[in-house]
Amino acid sequence: MAGILDVPKTRINCAMLSQHISRPVCFVGRVEKVHPSGKTFTVSDGEGKIATVELNEPLEEELSGVVEVIGMVSNKGAVMATTYNILREDKGIPFDLELYNEALKVIHDFPQHYPFEVAASG
Amino acid sequence: MTKLSEGAIEALSNGTGFTDAVLQLVNLRKIDGGNGPARYRVMMSDGRHTLSSFMLSTQLNSMAEENILAPNCICVLKRHVTNILKDGRRVVIILETDVIKSAKEVAGKIGDPVPYVDGQTKAPQSVSNPENRPPLQPQNKNEVNRGFGRDFGKKAPSAMPSTPGGCSKVVPIASLNPYQSKWTIRARVTNRSTIRTWSNSRGDGKLFSMELVDESGEIRVTGFNQEVDKFYSLIEVGKVYFVSKGSLKIANKQYTSVKNDYEMTLNGESTIIPCEDSCDVPMVQCDFVSIGDLENRDKDAIVDVIGVCKNVEELTRLTTKSNKEVSKRTLNLIDMSGKVVNVTLWGEEAEKFEGSGQPIVAIKGAKLSDFGGRSLSASFSSTLMINPDIPEAYKLRGWYDKEGHAIDGQSLTEVKGGSGGGNANWKILSDVKTEHLGHGDKADYYTCIATIVYLRKENCLYQACPSQDCNKKVVDQQNGMFRCEKCDKEFPNFKYRLILSANIADYGDNQWVTCFQESAEAILGQNAAYLGQLKDSNEAAFDEVFQQANFNTFVFRNRVKLETYNDESRIKATVMDVKPVDHKDYSKRLIMNIRKLAVQ
Repeated sequence: MAGILDVPKTRINCAMLSQHISRPVCFVGRVEKVHPSGKTFTVSDGEGKIATVELNEPLEEELSGVVEVIGMVSNKGAVMATTYNILREDKGIPFDLELYNEALKVIHDFPQHYPFEVAASG
Repeated sequence: MTKLSEGAIEALSNGTGFTDAVLQLVNLRKIDGGNGPARYRVMMSDGRHTLSSFMLSTQLNSMAEENILAPNCICVLKRHVTNILKDGRRVVIILETDVIKSAKEVAGKIGDPVPYVDGQTKAPQSVSNPENRPPLQPQNKNEVNRGFGRDFGKKAPSAMPSTPGGCSKVVPIASLNPYQSKWTIRARVTNRSTIRTWSNSRGDGKLFSMELVDESGEIRVTGFNQEVDKFYSLIEVGKVYFVSKGSLKIANKQYTSVKNDYEMTLNGESTIIPCEDSCDVPMVQCDFVSIGDLENRDKDAIVDVIGVCKNVEELTRLTTKSNKEVSKRTLNLIDMSGKVVNVTLWGEEAEKFEGSGQPIVAIKGAKLSDFGGRSLSASFSSTLMINPDIPEAYKLRGWYDKEGHAIDGQSLTEVKGGSGGGNANWKILSDVKTEHLGHGDKADYYTCIATIVYLRKENCLYQACPSQDCNKKVVDQQNGMFRCEKCDKEFPNFKYRLILSANIADYGDNQWVTCFQESAEAILGQNAAYLGQLKDSNEAAFDEVFQQANFNTFVFRNRVKLETYNDESRIKATVMDVKPVDHKDYSKRLIMNIRKLAVQ
């Protein structure tokens, strides 16, 4: 688990969660609801589907906007986050999740041209 | 099923005659005569052709009034006479007829008849007319007919409402010719020019012109001097008028797109009277040309186009040779051909034009120019319609909302420097070479995303004439004065201008390009005057500007042209415009291209 930051992580959306159980992933989504405990929150992807993110430690800050979560996918399809990054929207162009989702699909549709996972196993 | 006498319509209308013709009544219309009894006008079909110039003799009026003669009924034409009108058309007067099958007994229209047009002899083919269009239904039901096709025969049925004063009968525009004097037309004004004046050796005067349309066709009408005073203020675009006694002459097609062999000039005897009941007179008639087909049309052709206004440029003002200031605005139209064309609006049209929400724009009578490839200009005789209420507009809107908006339409018009335009002509630098861009007669323009890899610092600034619009290089007189050959003046000062050589690269290739003032300033991030100052005072800071500018990525709009100096030809690339990369837009295009490549 400690090594997650050092290995390649597949970028996925909600529809791809079930194919990546127990694997390191990178999930970019918009923060929807933060659980009062601060240990879990939901995110929506570019298709409007919802995924759950679970944290080891409760959040120490207000969370909103688009976040990039790195973690492992649990058996239930939740993202067990190791770390996350808020993509700041206050400067420059706002992040276009739908467009990101389109790019994501391209990566998955043409793995021969985006051989990120090959590098992971090697 | 009762068999109709195929060929009877042709025989009746060319005067050969036909005994006991079995015909189907297609339509019946009451015409209120100014005085005297009502008349009925009938459209008949022989299963092959329809003809609308049948009249019921008045003693048979009761058959129509009692609904014995009704649409779809089949009747045998027992006795008739054919009258020839002054203009050569024949009217068949029905003197005696028997209904052999009443309208109720007939399921509907028999066969697929087409309107009979004089001189049309290819009857057998027209039976199997693949268009499968309905027989020409009279166009003047109680609805406004708009923008229907123009292959409307000259036999168009016309309603004949009473004319004011009842002096002469209402005739269709299509029947007007120079050999008649007494006529009235009932038509809608689709366009009216402003009053224009002229002044030459033979004197001066003023004129205006307008375009009239009815269900049979259209005509251009011009009024001079007194007629301008008399009628101009009366005419409102979109309204319907009775017009009578104009002079007709052969139309000068050079100045108009109006589809009529004749045009009308108003004279002292002409009358124009507003008509209140106007709903049956059609609106503008357009014969839209696909934007994709404009390339095949001749220069200066007058065409009707309809498209979605993809982009609108800012209003600009310019001064003409005759020292008049005019407003001008350019828009990009795209249609279902996926092609884009630039359309220039002038004057008031340009000032008023509101392009928000990507409206449908139809232009009747735009002039095709070969300026910058193919472009259109809406002149004084053009009619501009925004979101017109015609079927073509709805079709186009549906197409654009569904798929058209995503199309990166290819423009027929080369985009001049400074404007983004709808036509990017995206290329990668290696394409420019493999496709031999710039090797043709005209310069080629393309857009690319590239990174600055080298900037030539040497000689990038020159000393230019300080006059406002002169950028000519000045000659240092070595006495504190600078001479401009173009202005033929000496100045105590000069202004610095940029001419920057840059090497730009993308993943596959690189290219030397020349950047002038604005584009060079955009790349360097500093203005020319400041750079000149730095160069003279602080060499290190000057160098730093160039270092900072390296490896920045921009969207370049380039012009390429093969140029020959001293028998040596090489491609000269000039940067017309530099813009920061719109990453969203860039990503969208890349994704679109990937998807496109994947299906190939």
